[in-house]
Amino acid sequence: MTSLKTPTAKTPGQRDPYRWSARGFVAPGVLGVAVLLYLPLLWTTFISFTEYNGLGDPEWVGIENYAEMLDDPEFLGSVLNTLLWVVGTLLVPVGIGLGVALLTWKLPGGTWLRLPFLIPYAVSGIGVGVIWSFILTGDGALDQALAAFGIADTPRWLVDAPLNTVVMILATAWQGVGVNALLFTIGLQSIPKEPLEAARMDGANGVRLFRSILWPMLRPLTAVVVGLSIVASLKTFDIVQGMTKGGPGRASETLALTMYKETFVNSDYGLGSAIAVFLTIVTLAAAILYLRQQLSSKHEV
Amino acid sequence: MSRVIRTAVLIVLGAIWLIPVYLLLVNAAKSPDEFSTTEVWKPTDLSLFGNIAEAMELSGLGDSVLSTLVYAVVSPTLAVLVGAAAGFAIVALRLRHGFAWFVAIFGGTVFPLQMILLPMFDAYSRTGLFDTRLGMVMVYTAISIPFSAFVMRNFFTGIAHSVFEAAVLEGATTWRIFTRVYLPMASSALVAVFILQATFIWNDFLLGLVLSQSDTVRPIVTSLAGMQSTYGGAQMSTVLAGGLLVSLPTVVLFLCTQKFFARGLALGQY
Repeated sequence: MTSLKTPTAKTPGQRDPYRWSARGFVAPGVLGVAVLLYLPLLWTTFISFTEYNGLGDPEWVGIENYAEMLDDPEFLGSVLNTLLWVVGTLLVPVGIGLGVALLTWKLPGGTWLRLPFLIPYAVSGIGVGVIWSFILTGDGALDQALAAFGIADTPRWLVDAPLNTVVMILATAWQGVGVNALLFTIGLQSIPKEPLEAARMDGANGVRLFRSILWPMLRPLTAVVVGLSIVASLKTFDIVQGMTKGGPGRASETLALTMYKETFVNSDYGLGSAIAVFLTIVTLAAAILYLRQQLSSKHEV
Repeated sequence: MSRVIRTAVLIVLGAIWLIPVYLLLVNAAKSPDEFSTTEVWKPTDLSLFGNIAEAMELSGLGDSVLSTLVYAVVSPTLAVLVGAAAGFAIVALRLRHGFAWFVAIFGGTVFPLQMILLPMFDAYSRTGLFDTRLGMVMVYTAISIPFSAFVMRNFFTGIAHSVFEAAVLEGATTWRIFTRVYLPMASSALVAVFILQATFIWNDFLLGLVLSQSDTVRPIVTSLAGMQSTYGGAQMSTVLAGGLLVSLPTVVLFLCTQKFFARGLALGQY
């Protein structure tokens, strides 16, 4: 990485000819992020300790918004739904993604067989919502298909909670399996040949091969996929807003939805900001746990 | 497992995955007169283009297409260049405390968007940026910068510093070295990041929902959501056609650039 004769090895006090130039190059990035991301972030944190509705000045109320938030049974429901999203997206899209990657691995035509799963990936959350609302609505495509098999008494997919959250997780799985399969496939392709062949010589196959060689080799990649999935699912908004709007009532709200409603529907800026801060703390905690796992397992993928 | 069983399982699972696509195509192609909510599995007619045209009229979807195209091209381009410049400053120009600056820029991506929604809305309303294309481009650029800087810094770390020194000896200015040496070398990474960010911006719903209002500024996905909650029943085929219209560009882009895309994701992760 560093060449032998590096003239820029700096000793304190020595003038760096690129000092100002370097500052100039980094400035747009730092400024953009500082003004449009960090400043708003600090403002939200401040607002979470105030009573404010956009008119007049924010009025300092201490931790009142947080107390109100934690006392609200609707908020707790929202936390539980968000948790269900985190667990559900780990089990279904990540699990099936791994399954598809393993099934297509070294299979002739594997690329083509993976294609159906990749098509939905780049569809927006709202697009997924449009398609799946159409399928799951009362007497919609799914109910009609089930009726053809003689099953008439179907649940109200998008109305009964927590079933509505479960079916929305499945809709998300429809979208997300492909990219997880793609990432796991890249992981599988980068496993060195020698240990694989050695294991095969020893007669390892199927489940044994997976447990003894593939799974340990895939672990770092799994950590990445799992980490991404957790962080993304904590912020679930689009698909729920698109399919149930958090309803019926507030039965399928996630934290991101509750934040949006309190802020922009009820104009309770203080409470909305408190929920945003809460969501951020949870996300950061998850991200830190994930990074620690990443750093503790220093494998090359 | 034998190849035959694996292939069979994949074909069945893949067929299940294609069912929603089938339903979307078949029903988006039904004219509102033919469309019936009780017969959604049978294809009846082919008025897809009529429906798409109709969808463009409803809820300002047509107006949104152009704006969204601008957002999805301009913002990632700016973000990729700004990110590359930051990476160049940190790696090639050896900015003092470079790593700290890098962490500061990258840190902007760690927080959920919910943390910036209200102040952006508030500030945009006060400064007249609310419901303007400029405002949208600004916010999309800002949220794309951290990831770009992250990938570009990592990429430039892989380039030997002697490349920079050689260019200096030839008398090139830092600007020239950046634009003529470093950017061209990084073109594949730049494209990978661009594709990834363009897709995310095209698919954005939340920022569009909070920071825009009029048909001409609203991004397309936000317009689609508005259309979905306004129209139903016999208009359902039009809504589905709208969904198809909105989804097609990113799906095609993604399928054509899978390798770049996966590479962008991978670059961001390691």
